[in-house]
Amino acid sequence: MLVDKLTAQGATGLSITSESDIVACRKVIRDLTTQLGFGMTDVTRIVTSVSELARNVYVHAKVGEMRWNSMRSPGKIGIEIIFEDKGPGIADINQALEPGFSTAKSMGMGLPGVKKLMDELEIVSVDGKGTLVKVKKWAKVK
Amino acid sequence: MNYSNSNYITVFEQWEDQKKFFCFTEKDAENLQKLHTISAQSCDEVVESLYDHLLQFEDVRIFLSNPEMIKRLKESQKQYFLEMTAGDYGEAYYEKRINIGITHKRLGIPPRLYMGAYSYYVQLMLPKIYNHVDFDQKQAQELFLTFFKIINLDQELAISAYVHAVESVVMQQAEEIIAMSTPIMQIWDGIVVAPVIGTLDGQRTQQFMEQLLNQIVETKSTIALIDITGVPQIDTATAQHLIDTINAVRLLGSNVIITGIRPIIAQTLVHLGINLKEIITKPSMGAGLKVALDMLSIKTS
Ligand SMILES: Nc1ncnc2c1ncn2[C@@H]1O[C@H](COP(=O)(O)OP(=O)(O)O)[C@@H](O)[C@H]1O
Ligand SMILES: [Mg+2]
Repeated sequence: MLVDKLTAQGATGLSITSESDIVACRKVIRDLTTQLGFGMTDVTRIVTSVSELARNVYVHAKVGEMRWNSMRSPGKIGIEIIFEDKGPGIADINQALEPGFSTAKSMGMGLPGVKKLMDELEIVSVDGKGTLVKVKKWAKVK
Repeated sequence: MNYSNSNYITVFEQWEDQKKFFCFTEKDAENLQKLHTISAQSCDEVVESLYDHLLQFEDVRIFLSNPEMIKRLKESQKQYFLEMTAGDYGEAYYEKRINIGITHKRLGIPPRLYMGAYSYYVQLMLPKIYNHVDFDQKQAQELFLTFFKIINLDQELAISAYVHAVESVVMQQAEEIIAMSTPIMQIWDGIVVAPVIGTLDGQRTQQFMEQLLNQIVETKSTIALIDITGVPQIDTATAQHLIDTINAVRLLGSNVIITGIRPIIAQTLVHLGINLKEIITKPSMGAGLKVALDMLSIKTS
Protein backbone atom coordinates (compact mmCIF):
# COMPACT_ATOMS: atom_id res chain seq x y z
CA MET A 1 0.00 0.00 0.00
CA LEU A 2 1.17 3.51 -0.84
CA VAL A 3 0.78 4.68 2.74
CA ASP A 4 2.92 1.83 4.08
CA LYS A 5 5.61 2.61 1.56
CA LEU A 6 5.57 6.27 2.48
CA THR A 7 5.58 5.50 6.20
CA ALA A 8 8.50 3.12 5.73
CA GLN A 9 10.37 5.99 4.06
CA GLY A 10 9.61 8.12 7.09
CA ALA A 11 7.34 10.39 5.08
CA THR A 12 4.16 11.93 6.39
CA GLY A 13 3.62 14.24 3.46
CA LEU A 14 2.82 14.29 -0.24
CA SER A 15 3.35 17.11 -2.67
CA ILE A 16 0.46 18.28 -4.80
CA THR A 17 1.39 19.43 -8.26
CA SER A 18 -0.92 17.54 -10.57
CA GLU A 19 -4.32 15.95 -10.97
CA SER A 20 -2.81 12.53 -10.21
CA ASP A 21 -1.44 13.81 -6.90
CA ILE A 22 -5.04 14.43 -5.83
CA VAL A 23 -5.71 10.75 -6.50
CA ALA A 24 -2.62 9.82 -4.46
CA CYS A 25 -3.76 12.04 -1.55
CA ARG A 26 -7.14 10.34 -1.49
CA LYS A 27 -5.55 6.93 -1.66
CA VAL A 28 -3.12 7.53 1.19
CA ILE A 29 -5.79 8.92 3.48
CA ARG A 30 -8.27 6.21 2.55
CA ASP A 31 -5.74 3.50 3.43
CA LEU A 32 -4.56 5.26 6.57
CA THR A 33 -8.00 5.96 8.03
CA THR A 34 -9.16 2.44 7.23
CA GLN A 35 -6.08 0.99 8.96
CA LEU A 36 -6.65 3.27 11.94
CA GLY A 37 -10.12 1.83 12.35
CA PHE A 38 -12.48 4.52 11.08
CA GLY A 39 -15.79 3.18 9.79
CA MET A 40 -16.85 3.32 6.15
CA THR A 41 -18.99 6.41 6.66
CA ASP A 42 -16.21 8.41 8.27
CA VAL A 43 -13.65 7.19 5.75
CA THR A 44 -15.86 8.45 2.92
CA ARG A 45 -16.35 11.81 4.66
CA ILE A 46 -12.63 12.23 5.30
CA VAL A 47 -11.62 11.15 1.79
CA THR A 48 -14.19 13.47 0.23
CA SER A 49 -12.77 16.35 2.29
CA VAL A 50 -9.23 15.45 1.22
CA SER A 51 -10.38 15.47 -2.39
CA GLU A 52 -11.84 18.97 -1.95
CA LEU A 53 -8.83 20.42 -0.16
CA ALA A 54 -6.20 18.81 -2.38
CA ARG A 55 -8.08 20.08 -5.41
CA ASN A 56 -8.26 23.56 -3.88
CA VAL A 57 -4.48 23.53 -3.57
CA TYR A 58 -4.08 22.33 -7.15
CA VAL A 59 -6.70 24.67 -8.65
CA HIS A 60 -6.26 27.83 -6.59
CA ALA A 61 -2.55 27.66 -5.68
CA LYS A 62 -1.15 25.24 -8.33
CA VAL A 63 1.44 23.73 -5.96
CA GLY A 64 1.41 22.70 -2.33
CA GLU A 65 1.51 19.72 -0.04
CA MET A 66 -0.54 17.52 2.24
CA ARG A 67 0.74 16.29 5.62
CA TRP A 68 -0.94 14.06 8.15
CA ASN A 69 -0.74 12.90 11.75
CA SER A 70 -2.69 10.06 13.19
CA MET A 71 -3.60 9.74 16.85
CA ARG A 72 -4.63 6.74 18.83
CA SER A 73 -5.45 6.64 22.51
CA PRO A 74 -7.47 4.03 24.39
CA GLY A 75 -10.99 4.14 23.02
CA LYS A 76 -10.30 6.96 20.59
CA ILE A 77 -8.68 7.46 17.20
CA GLY A 78 -8.09 10.63 15.29
CA ILE A 79 -6.55 12.04 12.17
CA GLU A 80 -5.22 15.48 11.42
CA ILE A 81 -4.59 16.49 7.83
CA ILE A 82 -2.87 19.69 6.80
CA PHE A 83 -2.82 21.30 3.36
CA GLU A 84 -0.30 24.02 2.81
CA ASP A 85 0.55 26.12 -0.21
CA LYS A 86 2.33 29.32 -1.13
CA GLY A 87 -0.40 30.40 -3.51
CA PRO A 88 -2.40 33.63 -3.64
CA GLY A 89 -4.01 33.13 -0.22
CA ILE A 90 -7.65 33.74 0.66
CA ALA A 91 -8.59 37.40 0.95
CA ASP A 92 -11.71 36.87 3.08
CA ILE A 93 -11.96 33.52 4.85
CA ASN A 94 -15.56 34.01 5.99
CA GLN A 95 -16.60 34.72 2.43
CA ALA A 96 -14.71 31.62 1.18
CA LEU A 97 -16.71 29.55 3.68
CA GLU A 98 -20.05 30.78 2.30
CA PRO A 99 -21.79 28.16 0.15
CA GLY A 100 -21.56 29.15 -3.49
CA PHE A 101 -18.64 31.56 -3.22
CA SER A 102 -15.95 30.79 -5.78
CA THR A 103 -13.26 32.78 -7.51
CA ALA A 104 -12.84 29.95 -10.02
CA LYS A 105 -16.38 29.82 -11.43
CA SER A 106 -16.82 26.39 -9.86
CA MET A 107 -19.43 25.32 -7.33
CA GLY A 108 -17.99 27.09 -4.31
CA MET A 109 -19.28 24.31 -2.10
CA GLY A 110 -15.94 22.74 -1.17
CA LEU A 111 -14.92 24.62 1.98
CA PRO A 112 -18.44 24.84 3.48
CA GLY A 113 -18.85 21.14 2.71
CA VAL A 114 -15.58 20.19 4.41
CA LYS A 115 -16.68 22.15 7.49
CA LYS A 116 -19.70 19.87 7.76
CA LEU A 117 -17.89 16.65 6.90
CA MET A 118 -15.02 17.07 9.40
CA ASP A 119 -14.98 17.72 13.16
CA GLU A 120 -12.58 20.63 13.01
CA LEU A 121 -11.56 23.01 10.25
CA GLU A 122 -8.97 25.71 10.68
CA ILE A 123 -7.87 28.05 7.91
CA VAL A 124 -4.86 30.32 8.17
CA SER A 125 -4.17 32.46 5.16
CA VAL A 126 -2.05 35.46 4.38
CA ASP A 127 -3.29 37.31 1.35
CA GLY A 128 -0.68 36.97 -1.37
CA LYS A 129 1.51 34.59 0.68
CA GLY A 130 -0.28 31.27 0.95
CA THR A 131 -2.83 29.18 2.75
CA LEU A 132 -2.83 26.50 5.43
CA VAL A 133 -5.94 24.42 5.98
CA LYS A 134 -6.04 21.98 8.89
CA VAL A 135 -8.84 19.46 9.38
CA LYS A 136 -9.40 16.85 12.08
CA LYS A 137 -11.72 13.95 12.61
CA TRP A 138 -12.15 11.77 15.71
CA ALA A 139 -13.90 8.50 16.33
CA LYS A 140 -14.58 6.27 19.30
CA VAL A 141 -13.31 2.72 19.04
CA LYS A 142 -13.70 -0.35 21.17
CA MET B 1 13.24 15.12 -30.65
CA ASN B 2 10.22 13.37 -29.38
CA TYR B 3 11.02 10.37 -27.24
CA SER B 4 7.45 9.62 -26.26
CA ASN B 5 6.82 8.88 -29.91
CA SER B 6 6.01 5.21 -30.22
CA ASN B 7 8.11 5.09 -33.38
CA TYR B 8 11.20 5.89 -31.34
CA ILE B 9 12.83 2.59 -32.13
CA THR B 10 12.50 2.92 -35.88
CA VAL B 11 13.01 6.62 -36.52
CA PHE B 12 16.59 6.67 -37.69
CA GLU B 13 16.98 10.44 -38.18
CA GLN B 14 16.81 10.83 -34.43
CA TRP B 15 19.99 8.85 -34.01
CA GLU B 16 21.81 11.04 -36.51
CA ASP B 17 20.51 14.08 -34.62
CA GLN B 18 21.54 12.54 -31.37
CA LYS B 19 25.12 12.03 -32.53
CA LYS B 20 25.29 15.69 -33.60
CA PHE B 21 23.89 16.71 -30.26
CA PHE B 22 26.72 14.85 -28.52
CA CYS B 23 29.24 16.38 -30.97
CA PHE B 24 30.05 12.92 -32.26
CA THR B 25 31.74 13.35 -35.66
CA GLU B 26 33.44 11.29 -38.36
CA LYS B 27 36.69 12.12 -36.61
CA ASP B 28 35.37 10.40 -33.48
CA ALA B 29 34.47 7.33 -35.49
CA GLU B 30 38.05 7.21 -36.79
CA ASN B 31 39.48 7.79 -33.33
CA LEU B 32 37.50 4.91 -31.91
CA GLN B 33 38.86 2.59 -34.56
CA LYS B 34 42.35 3.47 -33.37
CA LEU B 35 41.34 2.09 -30.00
CA HIS B 36 40.06 -1.14 -31.45
CA THR B 37 43.36 -3.01 -31.00
CA ILE B 38 43.38 -2.11 -27.32
CA SER B 39 39.77 -3.18 -26.95
CA ALA B 40 40.32 -6.46 -28.76
CA GLN B 41 43.36 -7.27 -26.61
CA SER B 42 41.70 -6.39 -23.34
CA CYS B 43 38.08 -7.33 -23.89
CA ASP B 44 38.32 -10.67 -22.05
CA GLU B 45 40.02 -9.07 -19.09
CA VAL B 46 37.64 -6.08 -19.04
CA VAL B 47 34.51 -8.20 -19.11
CA GLU B 48 35.78 -10.69 -16.52
CA SER B 49 36.72 -7.89 -14.21
CA LEU B 50 33.41 -6.13 -14.79
CA TYR B 51 31.47 -9.26 -13.80
CA ASP B 52 33.68 -9.87 -10.77
CA HIS B 53 32.80 -6.35 -9.74
CA LEU B 54 29.07 -6.59 -10.47
CA LEU B 55 28.65 -9.96 -8.77
CA GLN B 56 29.87 -8.53 -5.48
CA PHE B 57 26.46 -6.91 -5.21
CA GLU B 58 23.51 -8.81 -3.82
CA ASP B 59 21.07 -6.81 -6.00
CA VAL B 60 22.89 -7.95 -9.14
CA ARG B 61 23.28 -11.56 -8.02
CA ILE B 62 19.49 -11.84 -7.78
CA PHE B 63 19.30 -11.38 -11.54
CA LEU B 64 22.41 -13.40 -12.37
CA SER B 65 22.03 -16.67 -10.52
CA ASN B 66 22.42 -19.05 -13.42
CA PRO B 67 26.05 -19.78 -14.52
CA GLU B 68 24.92 -20.55 -18.09
CA MET B 69 23.22 -17.19 -18.24
CA ILE B 70 26.31 -15.43 -16.91
CA LYS B 71 28.39 -17.11 -19.61
CA ARG B 72 26.03 -15.94 -22.32
CA LEU B 73 25.87 -12.42 -20.89
CA LYS B 74 29.65 -12.19 -20.77
CA GLU B 75 29.79 -13.19 -24.43
CA SER B 76 27.31 -10.50 -25.47
CA GLN B 77 29.02 -8.00 -23.19
CA LYS B 78 32.27 -8.68 -25.09
CA GLN B 79 30.52 -8.12 -28.41
CA TYR B 80 29.00 -4.93 -27.06
CA PHE B 81 32.36 -3.69 -25.85
CA LEU B 82 34.08 -4.49 -29.16
CA GLU B 83 31.39 -2.76 -31.19
CA MET B 84 32.12 0.47 -29.39
CA THR B 85 35.42 0.71 -31.21
CA ALA B 86 34.48 -1.09 -34.42
CA GLY B 87 33.99 2.14 -36.36
CA ASP B 88 30.43 1.57 -37.54
CA TYR B 89 27.94 3.80 -35.80
CA GLY B 90 25.01 3.41 -38.15
CA GLU B 91 21.53 2.02 -37.73
CA ALA B 92 22.58 -1.43 -36.54
CA TYR B 93 24.63 0.06 -33.74
CA TYR B 94 21.74 2.23 -32.68
CA GLU B 95 19.20 -0.58 -32.67
CA LYS B 96 21.44 -2.83 -30.67
CA ARG B 97 21.84 -0.17 -27.98
CA ILE B 98 18.12 0.52 -27.89
CA ASN B 99 17.49 -3.16 -27.40
CA ILE B 100 19.74 -3.21 -24.34
CA GLY B 101 17.40 -0.79 -22.56
CA ILE B 102 14.30 -2.65 -23.65
CA THR B 103 15.67 -6.05 -22.65
CA HIS B 104 16.67 -4.78 -19.22
CA LYS B 105 13.20 -3.35 -18.75
CA ARG B 106 11.66 -6.67 -19.76
CA LEU B 107 13.84 -8.58 -17.31
CA GLY B 108 12.97 -6.04 -14.64
CA ILE B 109 16.59 -4.94 -14.13
CA PRO B 110 16.66 -1.29 -13.07
CA PRO B 111 19.09 1.15 -14.78
CA ARG B 112 21.06 1.71 -11.56
CA LEU B 113 22.32 -1.87 -11.83
CA TYR B 114 23.74 -1.57 -15.31
CA MET B 115 24.71 2.11 -15.49
CA GLY B 116 27.67 1.27 -13.25
CA ALA B 117 29.10 -0.87 -16.04
CA TYR B 118 29.72 2.23 -18.15
CA SER B 119 31.77 3.98 -15.52
CA TYR B 120 33.64 0.73 -14.99
CA TYR B 121 34.54 0.68 -18.69
CA VAL B 122 35.83 4.23 -18.47
CA GLN B 123 37.87 3.42 -15.39
CA LEU B 124 39.48 0.40 -17.07
CA MET B 125 40.13 2.02 -20.41
CA LEU B 126 41.67 5.26 -19.16
CA PRO B 127 45.08 3.84 -18.11
CA LYS B 128 45.18 1.56 -21.14
CA ILE B 129 44.82 4.54 -23.48
CA TYR B 130 47.23 6.80 -21.61
CA ASN B 131 49.90 4.13 -21.18
CA HIS B 132 49.82 2.94 -24.75
CA VAL B 133 53.12 3.35 -26.55
CA ASP B 134 51.57 4.47 -29.84
CA PHE B 135 49.93 7.60 -28.41
CA ASP B 136 51.55 10.71 -27.04
CA GLN B 137 49.88 12.70 -24.24
CA LYS B 138 47.85 14.90 -26.61
CA GLN B 139 46.65 11.99 -28.74
CA ALA B 140 45.75 9.98 -25.68
CA GLN B 141 43.65 12.83 -24.37
CA GLU B 142 41.79 13.17 -27.67
CA LEU B 143 41.18 9.43 -27.89
CA PHE B 144 39.99 9.26 -24.32
CA LEU B 145 37.53 12.10 -24.90
CA THR B 146 36.16 10.27 -27.91
CA PHE B 147 35.79 7.10 -25.88
CA PHE B 148 33.96 9.12 -23.26
CA LYS B 149 31.56 10.43 -25.93
CA ILE B 150 30.59 6.99 -27.13
CA ILE B 151 30.08 5.92 -23.51
CA ASN B 152 27.75 8.88 -23.02
CA LEU B 153 25.86 8.13 -26.18
CA ASP B 154 25.45 4.48 -25.26
CA GLN B 155 24.19 5.41 -21.81
CA GLU B 156 21.75 7.88 -23.25
CA LEU B 157 20.36 5.28 -25.66
CA ALA B 158 19.95 2.64 -22.97
CA ILE B 159 18.21 5.08 -20.60
CA SER B 160 15.96 6.58 -23.28
CA ALA B 161 14.89 3.16 -24.43
CA TYR B 162 14.25 2.11 -20.85
CA VAL B 163 12.17 5.20 -20.13
CA HIS B 164 10.34 4.74 -23.38
CA ALA B 165 9.50 1.13 -22.49
CA VAL B 166 8.26 2.20 -19.06
CA GLU B 167 6.21 5.04 -20.52
CA SER B 168 4.50 2.84 -23.04
CA VAL B 169 3.55 0.33 -20.37
CA VAL B 170 2.13 3.08 -18.18
CA MET B 171 0.28 4.74 -21.05
CA GLN B 172 -1.15 1.47 -22.22
CA GLN B 173 -2.33 0.64 -18.72
CA ALA B 174 -3.89 4.08 -18.32
CA GLU B 175 -5.75 3.73 -21.60
CA GLU B 176 -6.91 0.25 -20.72
CA ILE B 177 -8.17 1.41 -17.36
CA ILE B 178 -10.01 4.35 -18.87
CA ALA B 179 -11.60 2.20 -21.54
CA MET B 180 -12.37 -0.63 -19.13
CA SER B 181 -14.05 1.51 -16.53
CA THR B 182 -16.58 3.06 -18.85
CA PRO B 183 -18.12 0.23 -20.87
CA ILE B 184 -21.18 2.01 -22.18
CA MET B 185 -23.73 -0.31 -23.78
CA GLN B 186 -27.22 -0.43 -25.13
CA ILE B 187 -29.28 -2.81 -23.00
CA TRP B 188 -32.70 -2.21 -24.51
CA ASP B 189 -34.06 -0.50 -27.53
CA GLY B 190 -33.82 3.15 -26.52
CA ILE B 191 -31.82 2.62 -23.31
CA VAL B 192 -28.07 2.83 -22.76
CA VAL B 193 -26.30 1.96 -19.53
CA ALA B 194 -23.07 3.59 -18.42
CA PRO B 195 -21.51 2.15 -15.28
CA VAL B 196 -18.88 4.40 -13.77
CA ILE B 197 -16.10 2.63 -11.88
CA GLY B 198 -13.61 4.75 -9.98
CA THR B 199 -13.63 8.50 -9.72
CA LEU B 200 -14.85 10.81 -12.42
CA ASP B 201 -12.30 13.52 -12.71
CA GLY B 202 -10.08 15.21 -15.22
CA GLN B 203 -9.32 13.26 -18.35
CA ARG B 204 -11.81 10.49 -17.62
CA THR B 205 -14.86 12.74 -17.42
CA GLN B 206 -14.17 14.14 -20.84
CA GLN B 207 -13.81 10.67 -22.29
CA PHE B 208 -16.84 9.37 -20.42
CA MET B 209 -19.02 12.22 -21.60
CA GLU B 210 -17.95 11.83 -25.22
CA GLN B 211 -18.53 8.08 -25.21
CA LEU B 212 -21.91 8.44 -23.61
CA LEU B 213 -23.11 11.12 -26.01
CA ASN B 214 -21.86 9.12 -28.99
CA GLN B 215 -23.63 5.98 -27.82
CA ILE B 216 -26.86 7.87 -27.28
CA VAL B 217 -26.72 9.29 -30.79
CA GLU B 218 -25.64 6.01 -32.40
CA THR B 219 -28.31 3.93 -30.72
CA LYS B 220 -30.96 6.68 -30.90
CA SER B 221 -31.57 6.14 -27.19
CA THR B 222 -33.83 8.40 -25.22
CA ILE B 223 -32.75 7.23 -21.78
CA ALA B 224 -29.30 6.88 -20.25
CA LEU B 225 -28.78 5.04 -16.99
CA ILE B 226 -25.60 6.23 -15.28
CA ASP B 227 -24.70 3.72 -12.59
CA ILE B 228 -22.37 4.99 -9.88
CA THR B 229 -22.24 1.90 -7.66
CA GLY B 230 -18.50 1.70 -8.37
CA VAL B 231 -17.72 5.30 -7.41
CA PRO B 232 -15.94 5.43 -4.03
CA GLN B 233 -16.74 9.07 -3.23
CA ILE B 234 -18.16 12.13 -4.91
CA ASP B 235 -16.66 15.54 -4.26
CA THR B 236 -17.95 18.82 -5.65
CA ALA B 237 -15.78 18.58 -8.77
CA THR B 238 -17.12 15.10 -9.58
CA ALA B 239 -20.65 16.25 -8.87
CA GLN B 240 -20.15 19.15 -11.25
CA HIS B 241 -18.89 16.76 -13.93
CA LEU B 242 -21.93 14.55 -13.44
CA ILE B 243 -24.28 17.53 -13.68
CA ASP B 244 -22.50 18.75 -16.83
CA THR B 245 -22.86 15.28 -18.34
CA ILE B 246 -26.56 15.15 -17.48
CA ASN B 247 -27.12 18.57 -19.02
CA ALA B 248 -25.31 17.53 -22.20
CA VAL B 249 -27.49 14.40 -22.47
CA ARG B 250 -30.59 16.51 -21.98
CA LEU B 251 -29.48 18.81 -24.78
CA LEU B 252 -29.67 15.76 -27.05
CA GLY B 253 -33.29 15.38 -25.96
CA SER B 254 -32.66 12.32 -23.80
CA ASN B 255 -33.18 11.67 -20.09
CA VAL B 256 -30.77 10.52 -17.42
CA ILE B 257 -31.42 8.24 -14.49
CA ILE B 258 -28.66 7.98 -11.89
CA THR B 259 -28.56 4.58 -10.25
CA GLY B 260 -26.50 2.97 -7.52
CA ILE B 261 -26.24 5.98 -5.20
CA ARG B 262 -25.14 4.40 -1.93
CA PRO B 263 -26.49 5.91 1.31
CA ILE B 264 -23.07 7.18 2.33
CA ILE B 265 -22.65 8.96 -1.01
CA ALA B 266 -26.13 10.45 -0.70
CA GLN B 267 -25.21 11.71 2.78
CA THR B 268 -21.96 13.31 1.66
CA LEU B 269 -23.78 14.99 -1.21
CA VAL B 270 -26.19 16.51 1.32
CA HIS B 271 -23.27 17.71 3.45
CA LEU B 272 -21.68 19.24 0.40
CA GLY B 273 -24.95 21.05 -0.26
CA ILE B 274 -25.42 19.40 -3.62
CA ASN B 275 -28.97 19.01 -4.71
CA LEU B 276 -29.95 16.26 -7.14
CA LYS B 277 -33.68 17.03 -6.84
CA GLU B 278 -34.26 17.53 -10.53
CA ILE B 279 -32.48 14.33 -11.40
CA ILE B 280 -34.16 10.93 -11.25
CA THR B 281 -32.14 8.77 -8.87
CA LYS B 282 -32.66 5.13 -7.98
CA PRO B 283 -30.79 2.98 -5.46
CA SER B 284 -30.15 0.09 -7.86
CA MET B 285 -29.67 -0.46 -11.55
CA GLY B 286 -32.70 -2.79 -11.59
CA ALA B 287 -34.94 -0.12 -10.10
CA GLY B 288 -33.57 2.38 -12.61
CA LEU B 289 -34.23 0.03 -15.50
CA LYS B 290 -37.82 -0.46 -14.40
CA VAL B 291 -38.39 3.31 -14.39
CA ALA B 292 -36.76 3.58 -17.80
CA LEU B 293 -38.98 0.85 -19.28
CA ASP B 294 -42.05 2.52 -17.82
CA MET B 295 -41.02 5.81 -19.37
CA LEU B 296 -40.52 4.14 -22.76
CA SER B 297 -43.88 2.34 -22.75
CA ILE B 298 -45.69 5.50 -21.76
CA LYS B 299 -44.11 7.26 -24.68
CA THR B 300 -44.80 4.51 -27.19
CA SER B 301 -48.35 3.68 -26.13
N1 LIG C 1 -5.69 26.83 -1.21
C1 LIG C 1 -6.33 27.94 -1.61
N2 LIG C 1 -5.63 29.03 -2.05
C2 LIG C 1 -6.25 30.15 -2.45
N3 LIG C 1 -7.59 30.30 -2.44
C3 LIG C 1 -8.35 29.27 -2.02
C4 LIG C 1 -7.77 28.05 -1.59
N4 LIG C 1 -8.76 27.21 -1.21
C5 LIG C 1 -9.92 27.91 -1.40
N5 LIG C 1 -9.68 29.13 -1.88
C6 LIG C 1 -10.67 30.20 -2.17
O1 LIG C 1 -11.87 29.85 -1.54
C7 LIG C 1 -12.90 29.79 -2.52
C8 LIG C 1 -13.93 28.75 -2.13
O2 LIG C 1 -13.37 27.45 -2.17
P1 LIG C 1 -14.32 26.22 -2.39
O3 LIG C 1 -15.43 26.33 -1.39
O4 LIG C 1 -13.52 24.98 -2.36
O5 LIG C 1 -14.97 26.47 -3.80
P2 LIG C 1 -14.32 26.32 -5.27
O6 LIG C 1 -13.07 25.54 -5.14
O7 LIG C 1 -15.38 25.61 -6.06
O8 LIG C 1 -14.08 27.70 -5.77
C9 LIG C 1 -12.20 29.51 -3.82
O9 LIG C 1 -12.93 29.93 -4.94
C10 LIG C 1 -10.90 30.32 -3.65
O10 LIG C 1 -11.13 31.67 -3.94
MG1 LIG D 1 -12.90 23.80 -4.09
